[in-house]
This record gives sequence, structure tokens and C-alpha cells, in this order.
Amino acid sequence: MIQEMLQSSPGWFNFIFFFIFGLVLLLVVLGFVTYSILAERKVMGYIQLRHGPNQLGGRFGLLQTVADVLKLLLKEDIIPKMADRPMFILAPVIAFAPSFMVLATIPFTDRFQFADLGVGLLYYVAVSGLTVFGILLGGWASNNKYSLLGGARATAQMISYEIPLVMSVLGVILLSGSLNLNDIVHAQKHGWFILLQPIGFIVFLIASTAELSRTPFDLPESESELVAGYHTEYTGFRWAFFMLAEYVYLFAMTALITILFFGGWMAPFGFLDFIPGAVWFSLKFCVILFLYLWFRSTFPRMRADKLMEFAWKILMPVALANIMLTAIIKSLFF
Amino acid sequence: MLGLAKGLKYTLKQLSREKVTYDYPNEPLPLPDRFRGIQKFYPEKCIVCNQCANICPTDCIQLTGKKHPDPTKKGKIIDTYDINFEICILCDLCTEVCPTEAIVMTNNFELAEYSRDMLFKNLEYLDENDDNVRQVNKA
Amino acid sequence: MIKTEEMMLNVGPQHPSTHGVFRLVVKLDGEIITEAQPVIGYLHRGTEKLAENLQYTQIIPYTDRMDYLSAMTNNYVICHAVETMMGIEIPERADFLRVIAMELGRVASHLVWWGTYLLDLGATSPFIYAFREREMIINMLNELSGGRLTFNYMRVGGVKWDAPEGWIQKVKEFIPYMREQLAGYHSLVTGNEIFLNRVKGIGQYTKEDALQYSLSGVNLRCTGVKWDLRKDEPYSIYNRFDFDVPVQESGDAWARYQCRMAEIEESLKILEQAAEQFPEEGEILAKVPKIIKAPKGEAFVRIESPRGEIGCYIYSDGKKEPYRLKFRRPSFYNLQILPKLLKGENIANMIAILGAIDIVLGEVDG
Ligand code: SF4
Ligand code: SF4
Repeated sequence: MIQEMLQSSPGWFNFIFFFIFGLVLLLVVLGFVTYSILAERKVMGYIQLRHGPNQLGGRFGLLQTVADVLKLLLKEDIIPKMADRPMFILAPVIAFAPSFMVLATIPFTDRFQFADLGVGLLYYVAVSGLTVFGILLGGWASNNKYSLLGGARATAQMISYEIPLVMSVLGVILLSGSLNLNDIVHAQKHGWFILLQPIGFIVFLIASTAELSRTPFDLPESESELVAGYHTEYTGFRWAFFMLAEYVYLFAMTALITILFFGGWMAPFGFLDFIPGAVWFSLKFCVILFLYLWFRSTFPRMRADKLMEFAWKILMPVALANIMLTAIIKSLFF
Repeated sequence: MLGLAKGLKYTLKQLSREKVTYDYPNEPLPLPDRFRGIQKFYPEKCIVCNQCANICPTDCIQLTGKKHPDPTKKGKIIDTYDINFEICILCDLCTEVCPTEAIVMTNNFELAEYSRDMLFKNLEYLDENDDNVRQVNKA
Repeated sequence: MIKTEEMMLNVGPQHPSTHGVFRLVVKLDGEIITEAQPVIGYLHRGTEKLAENLQYTQIIPYTDRMDYLSAMTNNYVICHAVETMMGIEIPERADFLRVIAMELGRVASHLVWWGTYLLDLGATSPFIYAFREREMIINMLNELSGGRLTFNYMRVGGVKWDAPEGWIQKVKEFIPYMREQLAGYHSLVTGNEIFLNRVKGIGQYTKEDALQYSLSGVNLRCTGVKWDLRKDEPYSIYNRFDFDVPVQESGDAWARYQCRMAEIEESLKILEQAAEQFPEEGEILAKVPKIIKAPKGEAFVRIESPRGEIGCYIYSDGKKEPYRLKFRRPSFYNLQILPKLLKGENIANMIAILGAIDIVLGEVDG
């Protein structure tokens, strides 16, 4: 249906329709963000022998994040006197908008997708790259030295890790023969790509952790060195926007991994088909999300001066070798 | 990579382990008898010897005595006794020197107040502070 | 070459990784430090001056607050100094209690270091694991002395309290438990490649540098100098126990890490033997006059605290109060090498280097 709408001539009806759809997705994503933050705090709490939030909203602290968000909205909005005002205000928006835009192309189930783009994967990578501008701007506009360092680090890191990230999925693209995410899922009917592309998966996982700047790649906002990195000076809902962008990316990246390497919404075996795709998708999704949380509570941070080296000297060659290997396998066996 | 895997295994194992946090303030903290908290003062035991005020390293005890009301008895009885908990470091020295155990430690430690003036505790307060009193006072 | 402007960055006094109120003014070229200048004194309380108006017993609670992570060793050094001046013999049982308390304190102190150092490096979980074990030690010391951090346990001539019922048994049970946890720590952190990458070759200095900067404790032993006062100038009853002094050769943060972890094990060895040989009964306080007056003269004693050599110098003119009291505070001396180490490093390494020195600001500032 959406495909038709996209192709029909523009009009008020279309606008309202898309607006409502976008709003619904936003609410769904916000709901996810709320509970993924809770999940993160719970998982980390349990690993660290604590309970995590357990006061508000019953034993599992189900309303904790809601209360936190409410607090952030009510907080005084501080803009430092010497900050670059327009840019300071603009930065969180620039950081957040692309994170939401990438969601449009992700097929959550065979029917629940907003835009079935021919170059979905490319679109995802390209648009998500825009966030860096918001972060750099925020770091620069705050007029704080820690923010500046954090922003610079973030930019350097995200740009360099984008390359191995794209390189590592080239194998998947070779095997499926398409950049369309739906096609990629369908190509995994007879086996997930993680089985065919283990090296690609590992490179992708590492590079995506760096893209999300999560531990062990959380250098841009390493709280023990740069206080809070690029968002040191941000408060209230502006700060919330940065956090939101981060978690929406986590959502998107986890969904992307599910699609690229774990067969998206499809059941692992044919006879399990009676379980709806949405269930499969969320199951796989949760496992991968847990992986990220698990990493975060286990590893220390990477060393800053080895970071670039790692991306260019290790991940890049490995990803390239993986492409070669895939090409050979493809031409020999398929 | 092996080291990373070992670490992951370790943290995964912790997931199901017993939690180590205390449920304070819902449950009071378990404290040993010797714990040094806000003092309990027994006015009737005090002989106004001033030793506690002299040993206090931060000079936070102020006391005055008065003549014994019963003229047949010698000595003094306590009139006012104040401890300034802004500077008391709960070091236990006052209770250590007191010859009659008129001042002893308790396990109460919650001293948070809205105003600094409230931290100035007088004889009545210290007298009423009579739960969780330390059982054994001298080694 | 692009010429860039140097940037001045104030790290601290409120900063997550300066372990208190330590301030470091660094000049940065990009992320590279060209000059670092420590600024200290935010926690200065004038212990030494205050002590001139205090009786010896009254000084003991003040020493608790210097190196607040191992208050027992501080208690000991002042008592030891006064005892040396007065020539007091300490009862055996008191000596055992002191050693057990000090070694428990050393383990607790190294645990805090381990946890916070990993926290500095960005790993959040080790902190809680370390504090779980530390909590057990603190609880034991709480049972013994009535304080969780500021013990005020030792007295001139002995200790304040005897061990409560079953306490030695608890110490005995703690030792194997701690060994097991230590193995867990090693599997979580010590072999972790990311961690190794961060600490190897960081903050390296030579034996000569270490001696010239008057470093002590682990900061000295990590360069290959085998110098531990518990072995080389045995005080208390340390000569009765069989333990090693862990040394490393390379002098970098990784060597310091290994030394500290090995030291925990050695402390456990001492604890094991001390708990085993603990005398059944005996006095815990020697015969001392009610009012302690050190004879006219001076004395300097030094012992091994978890951070290095802590020394105490007393000059007395025969009164109840010392005429002059001076502490040699190891953190303060160990910190001196920091500007030299930081030159040419980047910010991330700055935290790793500062953390590896293991300072306690209460001690640095006095
Ligand atoms: S506990 Fe110490 S500081 Fe407090 S009143 Fe007693 S002697 Fe003074
Ligand atoms: S030492 Fe004891 S008896 Fe003497 S004045 Fe103080 S409280 Fe009273």
C-alpha cells in the first residue's frame, strides 16, 4: 500500500497519512528506547550484582525511564553564555533526525516496512553517516574543551569505522545479489548469512559497536576522560535528544544485523513457520541487543591512539579479504 | 580474543549470582555491636569529671555541672551537655575515657538534618537516644 | 606541517578520574600533552599542625583521614613512632591483631585500586566485584574496631579492642574465598587483550628515575627494585611470616598492575599464617601511663603502606603533645613523577598513568 502511496501524486491526504504513520513509528521507537534503556540498566545491574531500577513501576522498575524522561523535559535548559547559540540548538536535531530517517527502510516483517527502497542498505549507511555532523557541531558549539575533544574523536571514529562497516556487508550483497533489504532477507531462506559470512559478521559487529560508540569503543563520550564528551554542556531535553539518537541507532543497528545476518523475520526452519514473523524478529533482535549490553558490561575502553590503527590496519584488510573469499566461493559453488 | 571470551564468560556467570546490595533504607543496615554511632548519655551516671571534653580531639563536647541538690551528697551533677555533631568525628575517645560509662556509643548513625543548627545535640536528645546502645563498652 | 594552537585544559579538581580533588593543568597540542602541572592542596587539613596541639592518643583519629583507604597502616605508624620513643614492648596478641588488621586493609586498598583503575579504563563491572570483596573486609574490620573507614583502632601500646568471638575464624574463611575471586578477576581482566593494549608500555620509567624521584611501594618495585620494608626493615612481627615481595622489571602500568595483584596474594599468605599462629590468649594493651608523654628527643619510623613507605617523624620536648610531627606520605612523593610521565602522552593515557600511580588525595594533601 505504501508503495502505491509513494508513487501517487502528492496531496494533502498523502501528507496526513504519512505524518500519522511517522508519528506511530516514532511512538513505537520511543517505547522501544524507553525499555531498551531499562533493559540495559537491568542487564548491567544483574551482571554487576545489583538490582538495577526497582523502585518506580513495580519490582522491575518499569516506569523508571518514563520518569527519567519526564525529569529531563522539566529540567532547566541551560545554554552556556559563550556557546554558539544557533548551532548549539541545531546540533541535537541534526544528530537525531537521521537516526529516525534510517528506520524507514528497515523491514520489520514481510509487510511492516515503510519504504522498500532498491538501495535500502546504501541508504541506511549514507543517512546514518549524517549524525556525525550533529555531534561535531554540538562539540564545537558548546565552547567547551572536553566537548571539542569528544566531538573530534567521535567524528574521526565514526568516519573511519564506516568503511569497514560497509566493506563487511559487501559479502552479504555479493551473495544475495541485491542492496534491497527485503531481497537480502529472502536470500536467506536456506541458511542465515552468519553461517556463510562469519568473518563478515564479526567485522560488522565490531565496526557497528564503534559506530554506535558503545563500549569498548565509547571514546567520544568516555566519562572517565572527557567527562561526557560532546554532550558535556547539554542539559534537559537537548541532551535527551542526543541520548535518543544513540538509542534509536542501537535499535536500527540491531534490526539491521538481524536482517543482514540472521534472516530477519523468517523462521530458522520451515516447520516453525506458523509462528508469526514479528515474533521471530523480536526474538533475534533481543538476543543481539543482549550481546551489545553484555559487551558493555564486560570490556574496558579501547586505547585512543590504537583506535584508528585498528580500523585501517586490521578491520579493513580483513573485510577486503572477506570480499575476495566470498567472490571465490560464490563463483565456485553458486 | 581468548581473553575477551574468558571475560565474557565470567560476566555471564555473574548474571545469576546473588545480589550484593543492601536494601537500605527499607531495611536497617546490619551493624556490629562495636559500631560507633551517635552517643547515648546517662545524666544520672555522669560525675562531671570533664575527661570526655578534654580528650575529644575536635573539642565538640561542652558540659557544665552544678552542685548536687542534695546537700548531704558531695560532688556535682550534670547541668548541660552538648555535642556538636557538625564536628564530632565519632572517634570513640570520649566513651573510652569516661570512668562511669555515662556516655556510650549506639548504632544509630542517621544524622541528616535540614539545618546545621539541628546538629547541635543537647542533653535531652542524647538521653533519649537510647535504642541500639552498645552492649560492651570497654575491651 | 600544520601549526596548531596549544590548548590549556583544566583536568579537575572536579573530574571523574582524578580520584578526589586533584587538579592537573595540561597543555594540549591536539590530544597530545606537551606539559602537565599538578595542582594540589584542595584537601589540605593541616594534620601536622593540628597535631602540635593534640595529645598522642588524639592524633590517632586524625591519621585515619590521611590515607583513608588503608587507615590501619596510618594508625600503626603513629603508634609505632610513639612506642619507639617510649620504648614500649607490645604484647604478642596485640601485634598479631595489628598485622591482621593491616594486611586486611592492604587487600582492601588494592581492591579499591583495582576496581577504580578499571573504571578509569572504561570497564564498569570490575568496580562492583572489587567492592563486593572489599565490603566483606570492611565488615570484618567494622566488627573489630567499630568503624568502616576510620577505624581508630590502634593505641599507643597495643590495640583498643580484642578480636570478637569467632572473628579469626571469619578471617580464615575469607582467605580461600578471596583467592577464588582473585582467579575470577584474572579471567575477567588480566588476560583481556583490550586491557593489555591499554596498559602495556604506558607510563614507563627506569629504576634510576624511580629512585631519583623517591618513589616507593609498588611504584618502585615495578622497576625491579626489591624493596619492601616488611622484609628489609621488619617491624612489628613481619619477620615471623613467610612471604615474597613481588617485583616486575618493565616499570610500566602493566608491571604495576601485576605487582599489586601479586601483592594481594602475598597479603593473603601473611593473613593465613597470622590467623594460624594467632595466640590463644594474652594482653592486647601494654602497660602504658594514663597520660602518654614521649621523652625528649626525636624519632623517625617508616613502614610499608599499600601505597609505599609511610614515615612518621616526631620531635618531642617531653610534653603530652609533640613539638613537631611530620608524616612522609607516600602518595605525595609518588605523584612527583607524574609531569614527567605525562609529557607526550594523550589524554586517554593520562588517565591510565595517573590511575596506575594509585594516589589517595587525603594523603597527598595532608
Ligand atoms: S566521638 Fe570523638 S569527636 Fe565525638 S564527641 Fe566523642 S571524642 Fe569528641
Ligand atoms: S567523662 Fe563521663 S563522667 Fe566524666 S564528664 Fe564526661 S560523661 Fe561525665
